[in-house]
Amino acid sequence: MHKDNRIKLLFLLPAVLWVLCFTIFPLIYSVRLSFFNVKIGSPDEFIGLRNYVHLFQDQRARSSALITLIFVCCGVAIQMTLGMALALLFNRPLRLRGILRTVMTMPLFATPIAVGFLFFTIFYEEGGLINGLLHLNVPWLSNPYWALASITIVDIWQWTPFCFLIFLAVLQGIPAHYYEAATLETNKGWSVFRFITLPILQPTIILVLLLRITEAFKVFDIPFTLTTGGPGTATQVLTMYAYRVGMRFFNYGYSSAISVFLFILVMVVIMTLFKKIRQTYQ
Amino acid sequence: MYTETKVTLVVIVIVLVALAVFLTRGCRPGEGTRNGSGKAGYQHLKWHDDGGVDLITFEDAEVIHLSKDELGTMFGRGKKPFTGKRIAVTVNNSGPKGGISGPLYRLRPAWEELTGAKLDIVEVPLAEQLNKTITDLRLGVGQFDGFMEGAWYMGEYITPGFIRPIDDYIPDKRFPQWDPNWLPPSLRNIHTWEGKWYGTLNDSDGQVLYWRNDILTDPEWRSKYKAETGKDMPFPTKTWQDVIEIARYFNGKNWDDNDPDTDTGIVMHFKVNEQGMFHFMSLSAPFVAMGGDKVDRGTNNYWFDPETMEPLIAQPGHVRALEVLYRLSRYGPRAQAAWDLGTAWDWFLRGKSIFVFSWGDVGALVQDTSRSKIRGKLGASVLPGSYEVYDMNNKRWVKLPQPNVVGNTTGGSWHGVISSRSENPEVVYSFYALMATKPVSLWNVNRGWTGVDPGASIHFLPPQGTADLRGFVDAGWNESDLRFYLKAYHDNFFADTMLPYLRINGAEEYWRALDQNLSETMIGRLSPKEALTRTAKEWDEITNRRGRAAQLKQYQRSIGYGR
Amino acid sequence: MEALRTLKRRHISSWAYILLAIFVAAMTFLPFYWAISLSVRNPAEAFTVTGLAVPFVQYKPTLANWKTELATGETQKALVNSTIVAMCAALMTIVIATPAAYAIARFRFRRPSNGNIALWFLSQRVLPPVATAIPFFLIMRFLGLLDTHIALILLNTTFNLPIVVVIMRQAFIEVPIELEEAALVDGANHLDIFLMISVRLAAPSLAAAVLIVIAFTWNEFLFALMIGTIKAKVIPVHMAGAVDTRGVQFWFVAVRTLIAMTPPVIIALLAQRYIVRGLTFGAVKG
Repeated sequence: MHKDNRIKLLFLLPAVLWVLCFTIFPLIYSVRLSFFNVKIGSPDEFIGLRNYVHLFQDQRARSSALITLIFVCCGVAIQMTLGMALALLFNRPLRLRGILRTVMTMPLFATPIAVGFLFFTIFYEEGGLINGLLHLNVPWLSNPYWALASITIVDIWQWTPFCFLIFLAVLQGIPAHYYEAATLETNKGWSVFRFITLPILQPTIILVLLLRITEAFKVFDIPFTLTTGGPGTATQVLTMYAYRVGMRFFNYGYSSAISVFLFILVMVVIMTLFKKIRQTYQ
Repeated sequence: MYTETKVTLVVIVIVLVALAVFLTRGCRPGEGTRNGSGKAGYQHLKWHDDGGVDLITFEDAEVIHLSKDELGTMFGRGKKPFTGKRIAVTVNNSGPKGGISGPLYRLRPAWEELTGAKLDIVEVPLAEQLNKTITDLRLGVGQFDGFMEGAWYMGEYITPGFIRPIDDYIPDKRFPQWDPNWLPPSLRNIHTWEGKWYGTLNDSDGQVLYWRNDILTDPEWRSKYKAETGKDMPFPTKTWQDVIEIARYFNGKNWDDNDPDTDTGIVMHFKVNEQGMFHFMSLSAPFVAMGGDKVDRGTNNYWFDPETMEPLIAQPGHVRALEVLYRLSRYGPRAQAAWDLGTAWDWFLRGKSIFVFSWGDVGALVQDTSRSKIRGKLGASVLPGSYEVYDMNNKRWVKLPQPNVVGNTTGGSWHGVISSRSENPEVVYSFYALMATKPVSLWNVNRGWTGVDPGASIHFLPPQGTADLRGFVDAGWNESDLRFYLKAYHDNFFADTMLPYLRINGAEEYWRALDQNLSETMIGRLSPKEALTRTAKEWDEITNRRGRAAQLKQYQRSIGYGR
Repeated sequence: MEALRTLKRRHISSWAYILLAIFVAAMTFLPFYWAISLSVRNPAEAFTVTGLAVPFVQYKPTLANWKTELATGETQKALVNSTIVAMCAALMTIVIATPAAYAIARFRFRRPSNGNIALWFLSQRVLPPVATAIPFFLIMRFLGLLDTHIALILLNTTFNLPIVVVIMRQAFIEVPIELEEAALVDGANHLDIFLMISVRLAAPSLAAAVLIVIAFTWNEFLFALMIGTIKAKVIPVHMAGAVDTRGVQFWFVAVRTLIAMTPPVIIALLAQRYIVRGLTFGAVKG
């Protein structure tokens, strides 16, 4: 650490001010909007908690929240498990690993909106890639449960490589002598994993979990393009519902209430994981 | 470390170059990269000695001839009356060769040469166009001079005065000439508001029934039908029940030798947040709409009670219609619950379905043999009717001797309106009017991909209209298909009873609520009754939020109640 | 004998791993292959050719879709816009974020502590964008910046600022402090040290951060849809127009998909070495 110096503020303040200006202020504004009935062109009408009362009576909001939670839980759980399993399997000298890593890097930054459209053609039920190739007859997009599964599958396709690459990186960083000592005492792979690998991986697991959960809650592009929230409202996640209410139908107040609710939901989930992650960064 | 520093340097250099590019040309984006207009050495006009002109379309270089009278007096060789002006018009996002937006691209270079002005075509996705333009207008940003609107946007634009009437322009000889009287009253109704004209002639939307004429008139299939069901094939279909019977019989059979797989009875497009609700509207019309000279709750009315703004969508007539739609949908491909227009049409074009009921695009696309296997095999008519109609005044079902057949203007009838914020309304109008002239309008209607569907008298063959068979045949039409098609559309737009069109503030929001609940019905999550009851409840909420009194007043005006 | 058996077993299992690796790679790559295959088909073949759809075997490939799409002015414009916005956002982000990261890494803050400042930045990523969408829209309207590149650059800078702060903080912590201290003794000021020594030593991380910001900005859709209409229309918004009133046109979807995805995918491949580290905000070393 350098000695204390006024100049540190000069370094830090622009970024802090920027974030305050463009993140905190809009958030506060959003919270304010959520207490109003907003009509462009006429003054906002203060309506207290009525938007929130409506939120808890609104069947669509409830079902959207449920859909979002299912999407996040299933998607993230499967990605993490798959990524972990693959990382453990390939954590050994293997000729093709370089190529595998390269290929696995490709989905990470693939434009989500394009991915949504692409999978629209892949899930096409009458001769699309999957049904056509495997001679299946799965109602990928026309059945409510399958449609939810479909957007989850896209998320899994895009983000399993992310989990895989991170876990692999950490596994490869574990010095060999950790294992050598262990193998002398016990020969079972499971115990090695349980008592050596897992404790080392634990902070990373929590970190990846955290990152994936926050991102998964924000999902918008994929259902927006792949299913447009349908069929019915089967894949209308909270972000899409907020967008629909606010940007399409100009009910800014209610839309803000939905967004604030979503924000609180994410925060609650994050807070429960928060203490562990703090250690990683301090 | 050395190479990594180099990578960083390269990246930084790229960023700086980009910044330089941005500073030098990004400040006036849109210049220089635009296609089509101003290309050196490519003329988009050819003047004739009699003052007429050939418009040469973009890319395809097809020729459309306008006489001097049709062109209007402000244009002429070298006149370019609007030099230096620039206008922006929003349109559904379909690209340079897609429906509705395509014709704008085709005509733009010629129009720019005629006027000297520049046209920005602002493509916006269908689901975003209304909110984008409304937000722009309400906030007073004023980015756009005109909108190629769907007819249900008009209510939203009218009340705050966002669009301007064009009654002064239409008879003005300076502009390209078109005649509002070409349009039947049903279509005139959705281009006007309280007697004033706002929209120019472009697209005319309405749903008609298409079928595979080769199959349904095949004696062999007819006798097989009789042998298997014990009844004569109810064809030509008079009611929706007939359609269901036939669709049920053919569904799951491989009645077409295009491919080895089984085919379906009907195909529809129910993808949510798209245009599925239009299916319900046009199918339900004969169960609900009563014709007559007056306008009241049960006559020439469909959506709301004109006294109380109570939603009528869950009335017994509407519910029965949804039950019929649901039963019919069982005889189509399962995947249609998530299909949009293009996908569903393609199914029919590939010979996979007996019926489809949809817009005029289908008939025209059938002629395009690169996508269609059924050219020359098409039949079409106005949508079937119902022997029973629910009388909302007396709250009882009425039996009729003849089926109640109702025409519809379902869809957008996408047409141009002019923003009242525009500083160049005349420039905008000159473009719309050029698109509405007889030669250009016919050129569009003759070609299916333009998305411009027939509706005006200039599009129909004599005796109903003034169009020339030759123009259609030259554009690739099969004559039998064409005669079915034009008759179907003529019968539809000139029907005695029409389905009233919802044109009030929030029409989009009301329809989207209906659409979501319909979609829930199609996947079996809600019964027809539940779906419409829920729709009615949501409509009440929308009405209350937007202000009941104002909504009611506007609704009364839009249907001509109490006049 | 025993040794031979072990060798054999190892051999077999090694083949099993290779097969598995190939399978996993194929699954990951398949959608990209499908996009390429669709993009070189005629419209009529988009629906009718099924299965793996091998070009030349099942159909005759054509570049017509590509030509039409790339020749369209709107596509070119969207590409230019996307590039401008992504580059400028990346530049702005690093200019603002790197000094802050340096400050957190090198100076002691008491209240709030260094770790908490970093966490505070990181927590900005938790905020769902839709929560700030409407205020942002109204702010941009107030500033008269709707439909401008500047608005999109500002927005994307905001979204990516926290990431870069956290990535760079970790990078600076790992740079040995001795050089800087020596320079201080020689009388150099902090600004010079920051620019001449620290940034240079942390260059690889900086490069990774820039690439990540470019990719994220390129992919951002929600705000681009709200803000960019005519002049500032970027690729994802242009992309959304492959669906129209007349349905999804598979062949154009495929072309536009590839146009949209190629740059960020290339970036991912370029930055492969740093990506793990970047995406975990420096917590995991790749």
